[in-house]
Amino acid sequence: MRVAIAEDSVLLREGLASLLDDAGFDVIAQCQTADELRLKVDSYSPDVAIVDIRLPPTHNDEGLVAALEIRDRHPSVGVLVLSQYMELGLAMKLLADSADGVGYLLKDRISDVDDFVAAVQRVGTGGSVVDPAIVSTLLSRQRSDDPLATLTPREREVLELMATGSSNQGIADELVISLRAAEKYVSSIFGKLGLPSTGSESRRVLAVLMFLRS
Amino acid sequence: MLAAASAAAGSVLLAHASDDLSEPVLEAALLNWTTLPYIAAGSIAWARRPDSRFGRLMVAAGFAMFLSSLQWSQTDVPFTLGMAFDLLPAAILLHLFLAFPSGRLERGAERTLVVAAYTAALGLQLVKMLLWSVQGRNVLAVAEETEAAFTVEDVELGLLSALCLGGVLVLVVRRRGLVRPLRPSIALLVDSFACGLVMVAVLLTAGAFEWPAFETIRRITFLVIGLTPVAFLIGLLDARFSGSTLRELLVRLREEPAPADLRDSLADALRDPSLTVAYWLQDFGRWVDAQGRPVDLPTEGSGQVTKFIDHDGSSAVALLHDPSLADEPELLGAVTAAAAIALENERLHAELRARLDELRGSRQRVIEAGQEERQRLERDLHDGAQQRLIALSLELGRLERRLSGDADARGRLDRARREVAMSLEELRAVAHGIHPAVVSGHGLAVALESLTVRAPVPVRLDVRLEGRMPERLEVAAYYVVSESLANVAKHAHATLARVDVARGDGGLVVEVLDDGVGGADTERGTGLRGLADRVEALGGRLLVWTPHGGGTRVRAELPCA
Repeated sequence: MRVAIAEDSVLLREGLASLLDDAGFDVIAQCQTADELRLKVDSYSPDVAIVDIRLPPTHNDEGLVAALEIRDRHPSVGVLVLSQYMELGLAMKLLADSADGVGYLLKDRISDVDDFVAAVQRVGTGGSVVDPAIVSTLLSRQRSDDPLATLTPREREVLELMATGSSNQGIADELVISLRAAEKYVSSIFGKLGLPSTGSESRRVLAVLMFLRS
Repeated sequence: MLAAASAAAGSVLLAHASDDLSEPVLEAALLNWTTLPYIAAGSIAWARRPDSRFGRLMVAAGFAMFLSSLQWSQTDVPFTLGMAFDLLPAAILLHLFLAFPSGRLERGAERTLVVAAYTAALGLQLVKMLLWSVQGRNVLAVAEETEAAFTVEDVELGLLSALCLGGVLVLVVRRRGLVRPLRPSIALLVDSFACGLVMVAVLLTAGAFEWPAFETIRRITFLVIGLTPVAFLIGLLDARFSGSTLRELLVRLREEPAPADLRDSLADALRDPSLTVAYWLQDFGRWVDAQGRPVDLPTEGSGQVTKFIDHDGSSAVALLHDPSLADEPELLGAVTAAAAIALENERLHAELRARLDELRGSRQRVIEAGQEERQRLERDLHDGAQQRLIALSLELGRLERRLSGDADARGRLDRARREVAMSLEELRAVAHGIHPAVVSGHGLAVALESLTVRAPVPVRLDVRLEGRMPERLEVAAYYVVSESLANVAKHAHATLARVDVARGDGGLVVEVLDDGVGGADTERGTGLRGLADRVEALGGRLLVWTPHGGGTRVRAELPCA
């Protein structure tokens, strides 16, 4: 799997690159700025672009803008945005059009090497990744009428995994249950929350997030 | 008075005794008509305003014009004198009319005209008299060159006539160029000057060309010239009536509430729309207007004159007015006296406003400097410690993977990694507390999203903003929401809150409402005072409604400019 990285801190950029290299990825570009990333993506069209949300020159929204632009121009390139803030608004902005091949992770997650590698893999194959911290914030959110109250603890766990982008197989593996059981939980949750069945796993990420946010 | 009466009597006697005059009574009457009104009107003006040069000049002109009557004398020497001064009245009238209203000839062109007129009326007359004895009565004659004398006379008359027309031109230009609208009576006076000069010019031309209607023209001219002092007297009376505008001013100054703009009231009373009122601010060392804007005092020849009004021995207020007002010192004096208290009040107001502006500016600078410092700190934390810790934790993670066999070492590495993760978490919280970078980076709408989701009470968020607003506004709005939501959590016992953000009145309007117990202490403990400072430093205002048992509503209005 071919990966491009945009990160302005040398330490992190090199660290990321060797981590991915060790894990068998082909790091085809290491960029310092958003413009550099755009050029590299245009010419090499990698499977995944990993973008730091804060990039020079202003360190404001250059990274996010580049990520959205790449998604728009190269739908086949997965985009994994690394952020040092945990912002629901940014995740929603990224996922707004489609959750296919999009990820939003807190930067710290890169130290969980296995999880991080899995996330890159998932984004690279068109899946989605949402930082678990965002999902748990949404789940713990205060509501005046809590529709989540009708869920069993097990269903809550499944909902959380769905929201972070896990596939049914991923849920089954994580909870050590059968795929069939995972599918049953998912459809039960959709029924209880009154969510329309979406089919695609990445599309249901957005549906669940929207539901939790509203 | 006595001098005028004796001059008048003298002229009448001379006219009677004269053999040359066919109608001595009419001639004497005409002469007195052109002289006595000048003396009378000049005396009145002089008496009313002892420092007025114009009054004195007018009296002098009246007497000087009597001198020409000496030529009616049967005796040679007075006749010679009278003849010498025959054309002097034309020059005197030109001088007088151009010297209105200050009594001085202000401009070079005017001085040239008048000097030329005196030279022609006296100098060329003398040359003529040297060449013509007038049947032996002119004692100055040294030769009898009648033809030459008449030529000189024609030149003299033509020249004086042209100079008078020049004077008319000056008056027309001056009337058009006046900034201050003329009082109708003054306009009438200036018109009568111009009219008089035109008639004198016509008369002189008629004399030069020996028009048959000369006598008729002469009488009409005299009539017209005598009318000018009448117009002048009307002007004086009118100025007296301007006392009524003074009364109006006094009434306006006593009005409740006081007139919004003192300057306008004064400008009306002084009939000078160009009037500027400047106040001296001792502590700032500058002149300002009522709004606190700096005012430059006019320099010489800038078309405005300054009158200083003292307070406690130093100039506190300056009136920048049209130069023509200087001829009405009583009006200016009366108006400034009437408005003295109001002017001093307004000066104090201007001073207060200047201090307030200064204070507001320094508060804004202090908050902005603090803001910049926080932004820099947050950035340093992010670029330095945070990045290093992440890199360190990444390194630990990779190490952990490599140590596939040693379970103990892996466990310790994992613990170390968790420690670093917690440090990062804490550091992130600190950095966010220092400056909400997400607001600068991604705007208010994005930043409010997680703020409201994390709130300990359910919050309905409604952000109606297209695009970004100035960063300092967004940051202030963010603090308003975050502080208000923190208050809701701590004090309100609310079950629901609402956050509304929208554009409004050229700025940003933020409202945070809850359904809690209300009665928030707006001065202590709740952080509302600090919020108000932040909002007010940006020129906005913070409104808080917090009735007991009725929830709390915080509204911040942040202007763009």
